[in-house]
This record gives sequence, C-alpha cells and structure tokens, in this order.
Amino acid sequence: MAEPLLALREVGHSFGGLSVLRSVTFDVPEGGIIGLIGPNGSGKTTLFNIVTGYIRPLAGTVTYRGAALGRDTIQQRGLNGLVRTFQTPQVFEQMTVLENVMVGCTKLTRTTMLQDLLRTPASRGQMREIRERAEAGCERFGLTALRDLPAASLTAGQRRILEIARAVVGEPRLLLLDEPSSGLNVQEIDDLRDWIVRLNEEGITVLLVSHDMGLMTVARTVHTLYFGEIIASGDMAAIQRDPRVREVYLGV
Amino acid sequence: MKPRTLPWLALGLVVWAALPFIVPRYMADLLVFTGIYTVAGLGIGLLLGHCGIVNLAQATFYGLGAYASAYCTVMMGLPSIVGFIVGAVISMVLAYVIGRPILRLTGYFLALGTLALSAIASALFFEWDWLTGGTLGIGGIPKLDVFGFLLDRPSRYYFFVWIVAFACMAVAHNLVDSRTGLMLRSMRDSSTAAAALSIDLQALRTKVFVVCALFGSLAGSLFAHHVSFVSTQSFTVDRSISFLLIPVIGGATSIPGIVVGALFVTFLPELLSKLGDIHQILFGLALVAVVVLMPEGLVGAFGKLRTRFAKREGGGHG
Repeated sequence: MAEPLLALREVGHSFGGLSVLRSVTFDVPEGGIIGLIGPNGSGKTTLFNIVTGYIRPLAGTVTYRGAALGRDTIQQRGLNGLVRTFQTPQVFEQMTVLENVMVGCTKLTRTTMLQDLLRTPASRGQMREIRERAEAGCERFGLTALRDLPAASLTAGQRRILEIARAVVGEPRLLLLDEPSSGLNVQEIDDLRDWIVRLNEEGITVLLVSHDMGLMTVARTVHTLYFGEIIASGDMAAIQRDPRVREVYLGV
Repeated sequence: MKPRTLPWLALGLVVWAALPFIVPRYMADLLVFTGIYTVAGLGIGLLLGHCGIVNLAQATFYGLGAYASAYCTVMMGLPSIVGFIVGAVISMVLAYVIGRPILRLTGYFLALGTLALSAIASALFFEWDWLTGGTLGIGGIPKLDVFGFLLDRPSRYYFFVWIVAFACMAVAHNLVDSRTGLMLRSMRDSSTAAAALSIDLQALRTKVFVVCALFGSLAGSLFAHHVSFVSTQSFTVDRSISFLLIPVIGGATSIPGIVVGALFVTFLPELLSKLGDIHQILFGLALVAVVVLMPEGLVGAFGKLRTRFAKREGGGHG
C-alpha cells in the first residue's frame, strides 16, 4: 500500500492535566476524503491545531509526506501544502474579497521587502501575477460580483466560501476544513458538499472535521472521536450503525 | 491616474512651490517641521495602520538620527551625509535587535514595551553626556549644503525636506501597494489566519519596525541640520507621543493623512499659543475631539463626508 499523505501515531495531548487526546492513530491517504466526527469537546479542533502546527503534541508523532513534522512552524507546513480553514471563518475583515484571495496567493511568489519598497519590476510582476490568480479564484468560486466589497460585509455562507477560495488558490495538497458547515443553511451546505467533491477530484486531499452527519457522507472513511479517543472508524453507514456511536450521539 | 486629478496635482505643486515665499518666516519654519514630522510619522503610520502596532519609541530613533548628525559633523568634522548614514544604520540595527524580542508581544504589552524603550533611550541621551552633550546639548551643527546650494534659510531648507518627505511617502506607498502590504494588512485583521496562509508574522513585523526606525532617524538628522542645536529635551517620551498622534489624527491607513496629522501637531499648538495660557488645554480638547468624533482620522472623516455628498447629489438627479 502507498504511503499515506498524513499519518498520526499515538498522538496525545492534555491541557492543564486534563487529557483531551489519547493515543490517536489514523492515516489520511493521498487523494482521499477523511472525516472526523465527534461531539463538542471531543478533541477535534485540538487535533487540527496539532496537525497544522498551532499546538505541539505532548505525545506521539505526525508524519506528512513521509517526514515527521516535529518542530516545523505553521508557515513551513503551509508552504508544504498543508492548509486549514477555521471553525469561525477568519476572513480579513477590512480588506476586500479580492484582496483576501490575493493574500492566499502570496505564498506562491517571493519578493523581498526592499524590492517592494522600491517597486522593482520583479515586485510589480509578482503583484500582477497575484492579482491575476486571485481574479481567477474569485471567478471560479462565484465571488466576482462581491470582489470589491469589504469582507466584513459578507454573510456567513459567503465567508465560508471566501475562506475556502483563499486556501485553494495557494494550491494546497491537504486541505483541512474545521466545521465548514456551521452557520450555513441547507442550500449552502449542499453547495459546500459539491465543492468538497470537486476539489477532491482535482487532486486535493481533504480532512474534514464536523458534527454534521449529513455533510460527512462525502467522506470515504470517518473516524469518531469521543473524549479524546477514536471509538469507531469506517464509512458513514457503518459509523451510523455502530452501537457506541449511537450511544454517544443518540443516547440509546 | 484619472484625468481629473492631473490639474489638481499641478495646482498643488504650484502652491507647494510658492508657499515658503508667500508665508511669514515663522510659518515657513513650521512647514519645515511639518515635513520632518511627516517623515517620522510615516513609519508609525505603517506600523499602526497596516500592522496594528502602537509604536511609542519613535523619539528614540529620531534622537539617534539627530545625535549621529550632530556628533559626526560637529565633533568629528565629517560631511553631513555621513551623519545621515551613521544614524540610519545604528537605528536600523537597534530596531532589529530590540524588535526581535519585543515584537513577540501584542496589543497593550507591545505598546508598553516600546514606551519603555523610549524612556530608557531618553535617560541614556541624558546620561551619556560625553556623546550627546547631556542637557547642554551639541550646538553649531552646520546647515546642509546640497550640490553647492547652502540651505541656510527655512524657505530653502523647505524644498529639501519636502523632497525627502515625498520620496519617503512614495516608498511607503510602494510598500502598502505590494505583496508585503497585502501580508501586513492580513496580519492586522487576523494573525491566526495569516499564519495559516504561510505568512511569517514575526519577520514581517520586525522588518516594518526597521523601516519605521529608518524614517525616524532620517527625520532626526533633518531636524538637527535645521535647528543647528540638539539637546535631550527634544527626544523625550513626550515627543514619541506626539509622533504617535500624527497617524492617529490624520488617519493611519492613509499616506496623505500623515501630512494632515503632521500639519495638525505642528501648526495647531503654534496658532493656539496666541490665545495665551489656555492653549495647551485647547490643544488637548482638539485632540480629544478628533479622536472621539473621527476614529478614522481627519482624512477618513473627509472621505465619509465626500461619499455622503456624492450620494445626495446622485439622489437629486434621480
């Protein structure tokens, strides 16, 4: 079997003596859509923060493309193609929609501050490239009509799409979506589902965290996290039949 | 550029060129200070408006520039350009060395950190009298001589200072309008999300702090050659605060706003001083009024007013 894109081995973490993750082990295969469900406080976001480098795990290892992530910073992980979104969409509120997407493109080019201060041809060329990529990104995600509005004026659904667009223009290899359906209406969740499938077909591997069982049906494998432990894994149908999951979610 | 802005630009240029010859000498002097304060304020504006950083240490770099110019020209007899360069290099190195650790702080703590830097520097300027002359200061700093033109009057120095100020404004504009500018603003709006998009917050903040220090030092050197005498009282924490006021009053995200802010802090106290002892209270009230009533500064408030009028006009036609 091919090496997984992301592999977690025995990952554990605690906050102030309270254990939030206990020896979590699973793989995210290249090209897959992997889901992570679990009630509030089950450790999903902590796991995300560990994978993306916001928190260092107290135990276990995270391997990405065959190399341990270890002390890699958030930025290094991002440059290697590991990009996340947030539970509460984090748009750059005072910037326009287009500018938000442009920020997502900045990591693909390199200028030094000196070049930017002096507006050298290289600096101008890169800015033009960033703008073109961002415009194409807006077009693709249906944000063109909104592009000159400040991001602060967007609805929750539009913010979600903007956040995903901003992540995707940076050409991620592994896209980590944290509760992407929260605050969205039924139609918007449907659109979101379509986007996840489409992006995955283009070769982006997706790790999806949610407690929305409906959205989770896009995932090929779903792991259920409960009080920091994986209690069940499999496709969504199997998960829904699992007695422990039913107990946790439905209280039966 | 819009065709409509060109005549305005030409008019502005004519007014700018004529100004030092039509106003009284003391006003020409104030206009020189406006130019110097614009240079110092630009750096703080970049930090405040584009990085969300409150810098209360600009008097430190202003002082370094001024003392470097004073020491190099008066004590060592070197050409003035050396003073400018020495001040700039020392300021940038200091900004880098101090910026690395203190720029890890955020919000109020960072503001306090920069305030502490200004307080320490101000004490050192006083204590190291072998270098700075202490309270007696260093006098006899020569007037600048640019390609054989001796800039010995405010009306002459005015042009030099403002050409430097415009060049700095152009550089600041370049930065804001570049890839770096995008990254800075994203960091100001959400540092968490900026990090997720691979933006190295720490490195960026340090670099902008260094640019800010460069502007501060440049302004300090310009100041030293203008007044020909520098002493500790020009580089106190009070001065850092009045530098911070420049972008706060004018509008931190706007580059022309810095000029407006610099005009405010140079002209208003002078004009109010004619009213006698209450002038400081009046200046304080004006300051509070701007900050409370126009949170986006004078330029921001003007912009809002203009959109409101534009809307009204549009409504009238329809």
